[in-house]
Amino acid sequence: MILDAVRTGLRRARDLWGLVLFLLVVNLLTAAVLAVPMARQLEDDLEDRGAARHMLYGFDYPWWAAWADAHAGTTFAPDILGSGFAFKNLDLLLKGNLPAGLFVTGDPDQPDERPRAAIDGTILALGVLYLVVQVFLAGGILGALRAPQAGWTVRGLLHGSGFYFGRLLRLALLVLVVDAVVFRVYWPLGRWADAEARAAVSERAAIAWLLGRHLLLLLVLLAVSMVSAYARILIVLEERSSAVLALVSAAALCLGRFFKTFAHVLAMAALAVALLALWSLLDRHWETTGYKTQIVTFVLLEALVFGRIFLRVALLGGQVALARRLGGGSLEAS
Amino acid sequence: MRALSLVVAAVGLAALMARAEAPAPPSAVPECGPCLLEPPPLPPPARADDPDLPPLPAQSPRNANYTIDARLDPERHTIQGSLVLEWRNTTGQAQSAFPFHLYWNAFRNTLSSSARGEGRRAARPRGGGDTRGFGFVEVTSVRQLADTGEADLLPSLHYVQPDDGNPDDRTVAEIATPAAVAAGATTRFKIDWSGQMPYGDVGRSGWVHDYHFVAQWFPKVGVWWKGAWNAHQFHPFTEFFSDYGVYDVHLTVPQGFVVGATGTMQEARDNADGTRTFRFHQDDVHDFAWVTSRRLVERLGRFDEPGYPPVDIRLLVQPEHVHLAERYLESTRICLRSYGTWAAPYPYGHVTVVDPAWTSASGGMEYPTLFTGGTALFAPRAMQSPELVTIHECGHQFWYGLVGNNEFEEAWLDEGFNSYHESKSAQLALGPQAWGRRYFGPMGTSRGTRPVWPVVAPEVWMRRGDSELDAVRRAGAIDVMARRAWEYRNAEAYGVNSYSKPALSLQTLEGLVGEQTMTRILRTYARRYRFGHPTSEDFVAVVNEVTGQDWRWYFDQTWFSADLCDYAVTAKNERARALAGYTDGALGRPTLVSPPPRKGRGEEGPWDSEVVVQRLGGVRLPVEIRVEFADGRVVRETWDGQYRWTRLRYHGPAKVSAAFVDPYGKIALDVDPGNNSWADNAPVARRAASKWAMRWMFWLQNLLEMHTLLG
Repeated sequence: MILDAVRTGLRRARDLWGLVLFLLVVNLLTAAVLAVPMARQLEDDLEDRGAARHMLYGFDYPWWAAWADAHAGTTFAPDILGSGFAFKNLDLLLKGNLPAGLFVTGDPDQPDERPRAAIDGTILALGVLYLVVQVFLAGGILGALRAPQAGWTVRGLLHGSGFYFGRLLRLALLVLVVDAVVFRVYWPLGRWADAEARAAVSERAAIAWLLGRHLLLLLVLLAVSMVSAYARILIVLEERSSAVLALVSAAALCLGRFFKTFAHVLAMAALAVALLALWSLLDRHWETTGYKTQIVTFVLLEALVFGRIFLRVALLGGQVALARRLGGGSLEAS
Repeated sequence: MRALSLVVAAVGLAALMARAEAPAPPSAVPECGPCLLEPPPLPPPARADDPDLPPLPAQSPRNANYTIDARLDPERHTIQGSLVLEWRNTTGQAQSAFPFHLYWNAFRNTLSSSARGEGRRAARPRGGGDTRGFGFVEVTSVRQLADTGEADLLPSLHYVQPDDGNPDDRTVAEIATPAAVAAGATTRFKIDWSGQMPYGDVGRSGWVHDYHFVAQWFPKVGVWWKGAWNAHQFHPFTEFFSDYGVYDVHLTVPQGFVVGATGTMQEARDNADGTRTFRFHQDDVHDFAWVTSRRLVERLGRFDEPGYPPVDIRLLVQPEHVHLAERYLESTRICLRSYGTWAAPYPYGHVTVVDPAWTSASGGMEYPTLFTGGTALFAPRAMQSPELVTIHECGHQFWYGLVGNNEFEEAWLDEGFNSYHESKSAQLALGPQAWGRRYFGPMGTSRGTRPVWPVVAPEVWMRRGDSELDAVRRAGAIDVMARRAWEYRNAEAYGVNSYSKPALSLQTLEGLVGEQTMTRILRTYARRYRFGHPTSEDFVAVVNEVTGQDWRWYFDQTWFSADLCDYAVTAKNERARALAGYTDGALGRPTLVSPPPRKGRGEEGPWDSEVVVQRLGGVRLPVEIRVEFADGRVVRETWDGQYRWTRLRYHGPAKVSAAFVDPYGKIALDVDPGNNSWADNAPVARRAASKWAMRWMFWLQNLLEMHTLLG
């Protein structure tokens, strides 16, 4: 059943590759809002400097270090290179920085300091905007996935998005409340795990505690996300008007078939990790210098983001199929 | 799917095409001979009887000799100790008052000078009613031993606070003898004491589970220096200072405990009460530290190369770090080899390396013939851990151990010298260090713990001096470098002025005097002051002596100043001005000449070019300038760097294509090397900017997508 769901999801996403491309464009345009000024900033600083050549053919650490000191809080750092970007983002997520720094907690060793998000407010604001756009588009995407036939239209997408937006926005807010509760429970648990790690005799045990608590939080967030996805599916497939009831029903559905629903999520996550590993391998052997190689790199980078969005749509497609199968007659294709 | 296949094929084809366009990347500097960022190969070590160098002393003054008997209770973390100090009066005058360090009293309570300070070593209260972090040392008996009888000195014991007058600080005690000890005479003190070890995640000394790192643990007499007693209180980021002597130490621990200590083990015997007593002995050292734990695993190595005395290396490593043992041992060899030739060979014949327990703050610390490293279970080789810390702490055997400067008052003489040699040694033996970041750590800046998962950034390398430069740029102007360690404004200022700035100032000096001369300076200094207590002035005198020049101006601007060093270069090209307007015509009358038609945007000249070199910082150093022209011509200039800027003008057929100030990276102290070069390369800058902005956008795109997991 799980493999079926994975296959169905991938098939549906393949059928809707144009939709995935559309979502990629939305993603790209949103990121470009800040990336274009960043390019200007870098060009202004590198212009007339010998470091420009070094940065073109490699990475000039001394130039970057001075530049980063002059641009406090910059996120342009070597930690975004290779597979680092994924770890950096995961770290930001698990430290409660997303969205909008809502779930960050204070440093237990510095109790007088106010908890602060680890990244720039502009980036966080853009993240919130992107989240709202995705909530808006979710209705349209589900509408396309719900349809038995392949294909989609922008008009249909926008119609479905607008039609369900109110309900899905309420649901998103509810899910954020659930996430807030998760983080609220997690922080004391995390501190306890940290204390256990600190008290461990060997580093091995400490690593188990530290990685374990991060993994636990990630799994819980994935589970909440899964319930949220099924709630969206119920809203769209069953035309539910109550976000609360949809969330409760989705929770019941997921809890009742937890192994199947969650294994499906994990299977898709495994595909995402495989995609990342493939990317890392490519990235290590690929040198970007002139415009031609930059174009190829750009295509490769966007191919990875495309793959990521493709997997998101495939996950949702698989979840629609699973929901139909697990929900029996109430989730017939319309 | 067909569309996807087409996309993949197109990308592949474009990749093949694009491969052809990538030219070889340029070197970091235009020419490199020798380039300071890449040190030359190691010279052979100097012979012991080298006539051009000072003779090596056979032994230390041995004026403070300790015989110690101590017993550890690892359950209660206490030490019962008894020592006999044989002290020879080398002060040149009679002495009747003697200061003793009682370092563990820094952890006695929250009011000690150490606890009131900041920094990672500061003793501070712990939350949740946890009192494990407190510790103390209590002297229970002090007697002066003489042939005529013993004198009880305990009633004379009182605490003194020479640095800050804090009456709650008990880290220095003073005792008085009934009769003065005459100049040249020897006296003996018998001191009994008990010590409670603090929990070991803050202080250098402490316990974590059964791991006990025992340092600065016995009452230790101060140093008579510059005509006065020198015994400073324990501050959060100060270190130590003591006289050389002979140590003979008996240590009793429960059976089954592994013991590592300063010196060599002379004997070990089991006692009837289930304990085991080890005897360690070491001549000509100025401190004694030891470690014990059941978990330590022993690995042995040896350094035996032509020109150096052989050294047995004993590594005591945590079981989970056994896979890193060879890296520890090899790093120790790298240190003994490079420092041994750049200074003077290590004479002791043995060294003990300790891999500290998880969360223990005893890591990264030096003691005579014993030092602690520090690493992580996941330790990518490119990030050079444990290599760097091992080279550094082993390096202290030379700078601190054999040349025993006053770490309280001139910390840079060991930390700075050592950091200078450490980065040079690592660059030479290991190459550049990869930039990496660790993830999934504890919340906040937890004591002794760290993020566990390393991620190395591909192709981002830090070379010799890069990390030190970051520190100087950020905090170099806070304090004058030459200050007493506890008088710096904060821990960051201590770090930059004790480690980074002196290291870079020595690297810069190397650039100015040349590598060979620098080696001769350090060899002279290391030999002349082996088993001595030199000062900064002594080092400056050695520099002047070896170079035959007065370098005082250099040290005034670097060691005795908070000024930063920053040179920058810019250039501009204009077509050579053609004559237009009135000129002398026939019969001497003004004749009007029309402006010539404007030339196109081509490269044809002639050109008027201008290169401006600026000194943005306060440090004035002579600099070299290299100007490259579009036709391949290269002009080398020098500038004394005295005024704020200088302008260089050129007229010729080709325009200036690049200009460099300090082109060979000699001035390591330059806080912004990025502005040391100018290039006529706007298209290159645009391409570089788009390349990295694209990377950054990719990160941002993924971050945005990460939001979809929530809400």
